[in-house]
Amino acid sequence: MTSQATFGDLLLSARRQLGHAGGAASGTGDVHEAAHGMLRLVTVMARYPGDLCSPVEAVPRRDWPVLHAWTRASLEARQALASAAGLLQPHAARPQPDSMTDRTFAARLETAAVSLAAGRDLLQTHFAPGPRGGRRPRSDWALAITSPPVTRALLAELASMAQQIAPQGASLALSPDARGTAGARRALAAACQWLSIFSAAIATAHLEEPVSAGDRELLLAIPLNELPPRRLPDGSEPVGNLCDAVTGSAQRARHAAWITAAQATWSPGTSETSLRRLSAASTLTSHHCEVLLRSLAARPAPPGAANHNVELLRAADAAGRARAGWLHVAKTLDQVTTDTPGYLSQSADEARNLALWTGRLAYASPQWTLVCGPAHPARDPESLAPEPDDVPRVVAAIQYACETLTQLARADREHIRTAVRAGRILVPTRSLPDGYDVPRPYAEAPPNRIDSLLTAYQHAGEASATVRDAVARIAETTQAPSRMLTAARSAARVSIGGSRGTALDRAYDAAVADERRDQPGPVERILRDLGLTTRELLSRGAAIDHAGEQLIVAAIGKPPPPEHGRRNAKTRRQSAVTAALISQALTSGDPYTIALLHSRTQRQREPPEPEPEPGL
Amino acid sequence: MNRIIRAHDNLREASGLPAVLDAAYNAFEDMLPVIRAYDDPADGTFAAFVMSAASVADGRDAIAWAPSLPPRRLGGPPAPGEEPHPGTSAAEAAGALAGLTRLLATRLAQAARSAPDDRDRAACADAWRHARDIHALLTGTEP
Repeated sequence: MTSQATFGDLLLSARRQLGHAGGAASGTGDVHEAAHGMLRLVTVMARYPGDLCSPVEAVPRRDWPVLHAWTRASLEARQALASAAGLLQPHAARPQPDSMTDRTFAARLETAAVSLAAGRDLLQTHFAPGPRGGRRPRSDWALAITSPPVTRALLAELASMAQQIAPQGASLALSPDARGTAGARRALAAACQWLSIFSAAIATAHLEEPVSAGDRELLLAIPLNELPPRRLPDGSEPVGNLCDAVTGSAQRARHAAWITAAQATWSPGTSETSLRRLSAASTLTSHHCEVLLRSLAARPAPPGAANHNVELLRAADAAGRARAGWLHVAKTLDQVTTDTPGYLSQSADEARNLALWTGRLAYASPQWTLVCGPAHPARDPESLAPEPDDVPRVVAAIQYACETLTQLARADREHIRTAVRAGRILVPTRSLPDGYDVPRPYAEAPPNRIDSLLTAYQHAGEASATVRDAVARIAETTQAPSRMLTAARSAARVSIGGSRGTALDRAYDAAVADERRDQPGPVERILRDLGLTTRELLSRGAAIDHAGEQLIVAAIGKPPPPEHGRRNAKTRRQSAVTAALISQALTSGDPYTIALLHSRTQRQREPPEPEPEPGL
Repeated sequence: MNRIIRAHDNLREASGLPAVLDAAYNAFEDMLPVIRAYDDPADGTFAAFVMSAASVADGRDAIAWAPSLPPRRLGGPPAPGEEPHPGTSAAEAAGALAGLTRLLATRLAQAARSAPDDRDRAACADAWRHARDIHALLTGTEP
C-alpha cells in the first residue's frame, strides 16, 4: 500500500542473519570477535526492555511477584541481558577487517545488531523527548507501541532471537577449532546461558498470557513515523496511485492534527479560517467516501460473501451521515469567529488536499477539482477496481480517510474547548441582539453558541467513527492492508483501558496523561508559581516531589496497620496534604505504584487480618 | 434569491465608506443562508457551495475588523430567511451569487484603495481576497 519501512523489515533482516548456519555451526571463528558481536547485539536487545520497563526498574526484586507476568518478564529479561553483557565486555575484541567475512558468526551478530538498532530507532520516531526526561507520543502509533500486546510480541521476538543465538555461541565457545582464550570461551558460554534464561523468562510469561499471531503481525507492521511527501494531482494518475495519494494525504492530515493537539491556547492555527476550511473539506471527503463505497457496492459480490455489498452500502449510508454531521459543523462555524483571522493551519491544508484526492478517486473525470463545474459522474465500478484483488487497496484508502476524519473531528473539538477557555472564540458584535452594548467589533461567543459548536463536533466525530468502524470491518473481510489501523487502535485501547468514552477519546486521554506525567509535582509547582526559575531550586523541588512519591508508595506497600487509632490508605488519600502527592504518584504512570495503590484499595474491602507480631 | 438581489442593489447604491462596508458586510451575511440552502450533495455544485461558504463567512469577518463599519446594521434588521426558490436551480443560484461577489470584489477593491485608515484598507483587502475566491469557486474564473 505504501513503501514506508516497517519494524518488521528490520526485525526480519536481523532474524535472517542469525538464522544462517555460519562459522559457529562449524565450530570455527574467533571467540573474542564473536563476544564483540554478541555484546553489541545484547546491548541493543537490552535497550528494548529498557524502553518498556523504565517506570518499574526501581522495583525491588522482592516485590516482583506483585507485578504482571509480562512486566516481571521484562525486568528479568533486562537483568539477564545486562548479566550477559557484563560477562562479554572484558573479552570482546573488535573484529579485524581482513578476518571478517559475511559468513562468520561474529559478522552475522554485528549485522543483526545494526538491524535491531535501526528497528529501535524506527520505534523511537513515534516519540519525542518530554521536557522532564519522559517520552511523549508523536503519533497515534505510539500508543500501540507501548501497549501490552505489542510489548509482549516484541519481547517474544527478542527471546526467540536469543534462543537462536545461544546454541550457536555455546557451540563456538566449546569448539576446539575456535580461536580464543579459555576466559573468553567461559564468558561466551556463560553469556549464552543468560540468553537462555532470558528466553525462559519470556516463555514463562507466554504460558501465562500467550502472544497472539495478531499481536506479532501488528508489531511487524509498525511503520516509520515519516510523513509521505505532499503530492498534487496532475490528472494522469491511475487508480492505484490515487489510492496511495489518498492514504498519504490522510496520514499527513492525521499527523498535523496530532501535532497541533496541545497548541490551541496560543496557536494561530486555531483560526476561523482553519476551522471552516477543515470542516468544509471534511464534508467533501465524507461525501467522496460515500460515493466510493457505493461504487464498490455496485461490483459483483465476491463468491461466498453475500453480505459484502450489504456491508458496503451500510458503510456508505454511515458516510452520508458523517457528511451531514460535518456540514452541520460548517454551518455552526458560520456563527462564530476567532481572534486570529486568516491563518490556515497545516491540518486544514492537508484536509483540503485529502478532499481533492478522494474526489479524484471518486469521480470519473481526471481533472475533477473542488471548484464549480458540471455535475461529474462517479467513477465506474469496473474502473475503480477492475479485479477483485483491486478492492482491498480502495478499501484501504477509504479506511485511512475515515480514520483521519474521526481524528480531525476530535482534534478540532479539543481545539475549540481549549480556545474557549482562553477566550479565543468570538462572535461579531453586529450578530448579537441589540441589548448587547459592546464597543468592539467582536465579543466572546455566548455559551449557547459554544455549546452548539461543541455538540456539532461531537456528532460529526461520532458519525465519522461509525463509518470508520464500518469500513474497518470491510477491511478485515477483504484483507485490506489498512486493517492494521484497527489492530493498532485496539492495542492502544488495551494500553489505556479503564477510561470512559470512545477509543479515540481514550487515545487522547492517554496522550494527555502522558503529557501530565511530565508536569511538575506539587513542590516544584509551588516554586514555579512563586516565580522561581533557578534550575538548581527547581531540581531540588523535583527531587523532593520524587522522594515524597516514593515515601507514599513505600508506606502504602507495607502491611496494613491496625484499624484502631490509625488511618488507613483510603483516609490518607483523603488528606488534603497528601492528595496532591498521591495523585502525582498515580499520574506518574508507574505500574508498580498503581498496582500497589489498587491492591491496597482491594485489601481495604476485605476483612482485616490480625497484624503480625514484631519479629515473626 | 430576493435576498441576493436586494444585497446586490444595496451594495451598488452604497455611497461613502461606512455605507459600502455595511452593504458589503450584509452582502456576505446574506449569501450564507442562500449557499446553505443549496448545498445539496446530489448536485454537481455541492463541492463549490460547501467550500464557498467558508470563504463567505471569512469575508464577512474580515470586514468586521474595519473601524469604519457601523456598529449596527444600517437600515434596520435583515429580512427574514428564505427557502430556496422553487424555480431556481443550484446553478442559477451560483450564477446570482457569482454576480454579487463580482460586485463585492469591485467595491471592496475601490474601498481598499481609497479608505484613509490603514485598518479599513487592510480589512477591505482581506475581504476582497475572499470575494475573489468565492467567485473562482462558483465559476472557475476570477472576477
